[in-house]
Amino acid sequence: MKFDIDSFREIADALVRNKSRSLLTGFGVFWGIFMLLFMVGGGAGLKQVIGSNFEGFATNTAIMISSQTTKPWKGFKEGRYWSLTYTDVDRLKLMMPELETVTPVISSWGTSIIRGKDSYSGSYKGVYADYVKIEEPQLKYGRYINETDVLQERKVCVIGKRVYNNLFPEGGDPCGSFIRVGPAYYQVIGVDFSDGNISISGRTSESVTVPLPVAQKILNRGATVDLLCVTGRSGVRMTDQEPRIRQVIARQHLFDPSDKQALFIINTEQLFTLIDNLFTGVNFLIWLVGLGTILAGVIGVSNIMMVTVKERTTEIGIRRAIGATPRDILSQIILESISLTLVAGSFGIVFAVQLLRLLETIVNSMPDSAGASFQIGFWTAVLAALLLTALGVVAGLAPASRAMAIKPVDAMRDE
Amino acid sequence: MLIELKDVNKTYNNGQPLHVLKGINLSIDKGEFVSIMGASGSGKSTLLNILGILDNYDTGEYYIDGRLIKGLTEKQAADYRNRLIGFIFQSFNLISFKTAVENVELPLFYQGVSRARRHQMAMEYLDRLGLADWAGHYPNEMSGGQKQRVAIARALITGPKILLADEPTGALDSKTSEEVMQLLSKLNREDGVTIIVVTHESGVANCTDKIVHIKDGIIGRIEDNRAHNASAFGTATIMK
Repeated sequence: MKFDIDSFREIADALVRNKSRSLLTGFGVFWGIFMLLFMVGGGAGLKQVIGSNFEGFATNTAIMISSQTTKPWKGFKEGRYWSLTYTDVDRLKLMMPELETVTPVISSWGTSIIRGKDSYSGSYKGVYADYVKIEEPQLKYGRYINETDVLQERKVCVIGKRVYNNLFPEGGDPCGSFIRVGPAYYQVIGVDFSDGNISISGRTSESVTVPLPVAQKILNRGATVDLLCVTGRSGVRMTDQEPRIRQVIARQHLFDPSDKQALFIINTEQLFTLIDNLFTGVNFLIWLVGLGTILAGVIGVSNIMMVTVKERTTEIGIRRAIGATPRDILSQIILESISLTLVAGSFGIVFAVQLLRLLETIVNSMPDSAGASFQIGFWTAVLAALLLTALGVVAGLAPASRAMAIKPVDAMRDE
Repeated sequence: MLIELKDVNKTYNNGQPLHVLKGINLSIDKGEFVSIMGASGSGKSTLLNILGILDNYDTGEYYIDGRLIKGLTEKQAADYRNRLIGFIFQSFNLISFKTAVENVELPLFYQGVSRARRHQMAMEYLDRLGLADWAGHYPNEMSGGQKQRVAIARALITGPKILLADEPTGALDSKTSEEVMQLLSKLNREDGVTIIVVTHESGVANCTDKIVHIKDGIIGRIEDNRAHNASAFGTATIMK
């Protein structure tokens, strides 16, 4: 094929000759690729922002809460109150080897936390040392509650990020200092900076966590617990374990195992699946709308190329008369179409990248942001460029075949 | 013989079949300067299109330099047009958004000649036709005569065996017409280019050495016009 610098100059000339037409046609493609990339980047960023709410949370976790029964069972009427107890912990551990961790939580809300003249109202949680399996702490200072703390019922606590910021406005390592929570003083042993928005009895950032036996005594709770958190061993799906958990608990507490409201189980696996499905749907829509818009733009290109070919019938005829093969004409039209699509599309890619960068800066400058990445990947951009080239070819096909059908004689006659 | 037509027939089938060429037999030798004359509708344009491989014929045989021109693929036809034939049209048919030199270069572009080489050749040809100063101008900045000379340069640049001119003076005034015809006869005399001119102007035909009269799709008289006195009113000048 004959191809050199002049081929490019010719294409550039052809596009520049009808400036406003090329501009308007190119805009369709520009907007299409911009929309697609911007939405892809934005969608991925949004997913990360939402995903950061689950930060530090085991994905294979279930949380159980006792509630009023809604079905009569074994002589009991419905509407009976019951509570989870410490024995349920041992029972689940014994009877369900599939579970890796079973750990109870007791808590109270709206407790005032005081240090000197600074105070904060947060939640107060009692946990065992193995609670870290449920919610991974991100310790900025010190350590988490350990077995010894629990065994010796030490009055120690781990404080959340917000509690720390409010009680220790001067910053620095607070470990060793004492704070008052409710009626008692506790020694701070750690600061947990994890920032997830899932709250089991209050957000981690707003709570004070103490060894469970201490909380039990302070809150006068006897044998009952508020929550049971369990995680499955790897490879175990919590959804599959749910019925068996219900049976084990229901037998002990004498309620109908099919009474789903008596034992309320939040399964994070389901939650994650839900969000995944949601974003699959969102992604589908993004691609549908984005590709649709690009396609509309490309059809515009094809249309305008048709007009161009019609206008240039004589010129094409002259070229044919002086020795251009149909293939020369074909490649000329296709290359024009590719150029128009690719140039317009490249602007779209650049614009999308710049706008995503701006969006990223804005979102990440907001407080509480976990640093989501909105930018599209390099290879996504390359793929987009390739897609544009392919679409350019497609757009050029119909006009090119029309151009190829032009006979030199017809063109002369057109004059 | 450079060109040989044997019993060439052509029928157009647009609705009603129209038998345009009814058995054309024609031989043209190398270096001849021939005009084909006829009224409109006589089939002279069709004959020119067939001679220029722009159109097919139905039956018969057409040889250029011993090569049978029949049943060619589009690619072959394009290649023959490019290498064997140079076209000059009534309406010049220059590409309006290309400068004179770019227009002249175009046939070489389709031959795949390198950029520098074809530019140099195009400049040479423009120079020969006295248009070197106009190389960078666009067709709409030139007079009719200049445009036709650019077109002639474009036709000559591939070194074709035949120069086909379709009413080359049709869009020109009488003075320019005469200049163009003189240029063509000079090319014929000095460079030995075989030239076939299709025209309905007797004055134009009178400039050529041989006049082929075509009427109703049949070759009528072939007039030897080496004395250039064929036309009663075209002896001195080209009549309009």
